[in-house]
Amino acid sequence: MKKTIKKIEPILNKTLNKTESFIQSRPKVNFLFGALFEAFDGLIRSSKDTAKTQPFIRNQMDAKQYMGGILVALFLGWVVPAIYFFGFLCVVPKLIVSFVVGVFIVDVIWVILAREERINEGGFVTCLFIPAFLPPQAPLWLIGVGAGVSILFRNITGGVGMNLLNPALFGRLILTISFPTMVVSGWQEPFIGFPTLQSLTYGVDAVTHATPLIAYKETGEVTSYISLLFGANTGSLGETCRVALIIAGIWLCKKRIANWRIPVAYLGSVFIFAALFSLIPGETMVPPMLQLLSGGLIFGAFFMATDPITTTYSQTGKWIFSIGCGLITVVIRNFTPIPEGVMYAILLMNLVGVPIQSIVLKLKYRV
Amino acid sequence: MAKEKKSKKVYKNGFNLLEKYPIEFSEKVGTVKYDGPIEAFDFSFPRKKIDHVIINLCPMEPWALPNSAVLKNGVRNILDKLDIVRTRYFPKSHCYVVISTQETKLIKESKQHEGHEEWLHVHTLDPIYPNDAPVLIVKKILGLDIAYGRNTVEIGVLVLDPQTVVGIFEHHIRKNEFSTRLIPISGTGLRENKILEVKPGTPVQKILDGNVREDIKYRVFVDGPLNGSEVKDLTQKIDWSTKNVVVLEERDYKTLFHFARVSELLFTTSLMGELRCCIYCNYCDDICPVDLEPALYWHCYIRGEKQKARLYALEKCIECGLCSFICPSKLELLQVIKECKS
Repeated sequence: MKKTIKKIEPILNKTLNKTESFIQSRPKVNFLFGALFEAFDGLIRSSKDTAKTQPFIRNQMDAKQYMGGILVALFLGWVVPAIYFFGFLCVVPKLIVSFVVGVFIVDVIWVILAREERINEGGFVTCLFIPAFLPPQAPLWLIGVGAGVSILFRNITGGVGMNLLNPALFGRLILTISFPTMVVSGWQEPFIGFPTLQSLTYGVDAVTHATPLIAYKETGEVTSYISLLFGANTGSLGETCRVALIIAGIWLCKKRIANWRIPVAYLGSVFIFAALFSLIPGETMVPPMLQLLSGGLIFGAFFMATDPITTTYSQTGKWIFSIGCGLITVVIRNFTPIPEGVMYAILLMNLVGVPIQSIVLKLKYRV
Repeated sequence: MAKEKKSKKVYKNGFNLLEKYPIEFSEKVGTVKYDGPIEAFDFSFPRKKIDHVIINLCPMEPWALPNSAVLKNGVRNILDKLDIVRTRYFPKSHCYVVISTQETKLIKESKQHEGHEEWLHVHTLDPIYPNDAPVLIVKKILGLDIAYGRNTVEIGVLVLDPQTVVGIFEHHIRKNEFSTRLIPISGTGLRENKILEVKPGTPVQKILDGNVREDIKYRVFVDGPLNGSEVKDLTQKIDWSTKNVVVLEERDYKTLFHFARVSELLFTTSLMGELRCCIYCNYCDDICPVDLEPALYWHCYIRGEKQKARLYALEKCIECGLCSFICPSKLELLQVIKECKS
């Protein structure tokens, strides 16, 4: 195996070098395919940049590995469980549509038109989010619209590193506004039991049932916590198997890609606020444990709120940000007719991220 | 469990370079022959009264001179010399020997002597870069604050390395001829990592002759690749303050399957990634040894507000270079900080 790789290596290297000089020497080809080639080349070869100023050695972690870590965690955290619960044919076409529309159509066209240097791997992360927070029976075109809107929004606001709002959540918000019934219906029952070829391919045929939060709001029925934890319940495609999400999330925190402060503060504050609100006499409030284990809270806390660009930079600000998210989530779930509040909570706190940052800086440095 | 603890320490406030770049020096000490003019040993004794002398026996950088090379004759030998130097030049001062926590044998040996001498104090420091920087070592050992860039002598503290102690002893007290300095040379551009006896005044080229790999491009640095400087002109001379020479391979071409060859690329000048926007990952403020937030300076700098950067405790920065080292977006944070300071 090693020998064959050694043989192929110089040939591959040479071909890539030749292609590179061919593309770069022809402006028109470069205009159309330069970005695509660079994205592919960047995946299998290191950059040729060297350190020009101190320090002259650098750590091996780069933005690609950072995004790659998130992709791996998302894949294990929701794609694999979703295939088990809802079937291959329910999950994979959605992912393909999301990637094709988001990365290969919208992003590539944008890069070519805006003459940007390269396609960013951040687009894959955004597109992997889109099917996760839509119902299992959401039509494919809805996913496509969501992915397109998200990537377009991210690019308009300045690309990775510049956006104020989490682009994936913004896409979901646009879908909620434009197609209000589609994003809150089609909650397919998950498959439970020993997986068969039939179940892994098709899932359970189109039986729908209200999500635990909607069920609680309508009838007051509390779903069993164990079934919520392991994902044997209705919900969005990616949010049901909470055990896998928690494990993947903790792995991300350990790898220091996600900041541990955010999930800890977010989940903790949801629990505390839910407990406090349930003390109010005369009102029926969602109990704290159900709050924690239902809806997209775990998914949001570990994967959406931790998006480093849209939270605050300062560590103190991150605590404030996440506690704010927790409060808004509980308030929306308890006091409004909207069953789920994670998306609104994170988006609203994204908006106040910049003010929080400047207030924290003012207090810390007295400026 | 022990490993977990270690990796935690690696990250928060400083970085364990010794673990990341294990460098082995060959045991034999080589000599560099040079007949040209050499620099005589020179140590300018401070005019101010010295209350504390710190002896730095804890090299935090893997390319620094290992203790085993200086303490060949045992720690007793150097402590005796230190005692004579102290009584002659810095009477009534206290000496603090600082040793890395990893060197248990050396600590044990030194502690035995500590009991007998009241002027001697043995301290240990975690082997985490840049704990041996003057600002931090003074803060950690004596609890005194000193601004970066100021001489520690101003607050009555003298930080010495063991070679200088031997130099003062031989040159000023014994009046012997003392003309060589041990310089460790290491890096991926060399055939072998060595410790060399060099006469200060020797050009760098002379040291590299016969030691560098001829088949690759290389760059030469003095005083370490993290906060040392690059030697552009190889006729530059080694002086009495030179700590080490590092020769790194220059990877200015693309490497195939780089993710599987991290160890090959690690100790070269490769940037190991592409320049990107700041992604607010908090790596730089987690690693900063003096609790600053380097990304703030970068944001001020790209908005053209260098003045504003100074409001965020910029003067505390000790320019260790760890923020640029760790940045996944490969931003030149140290350069930005230096420009904001000026």
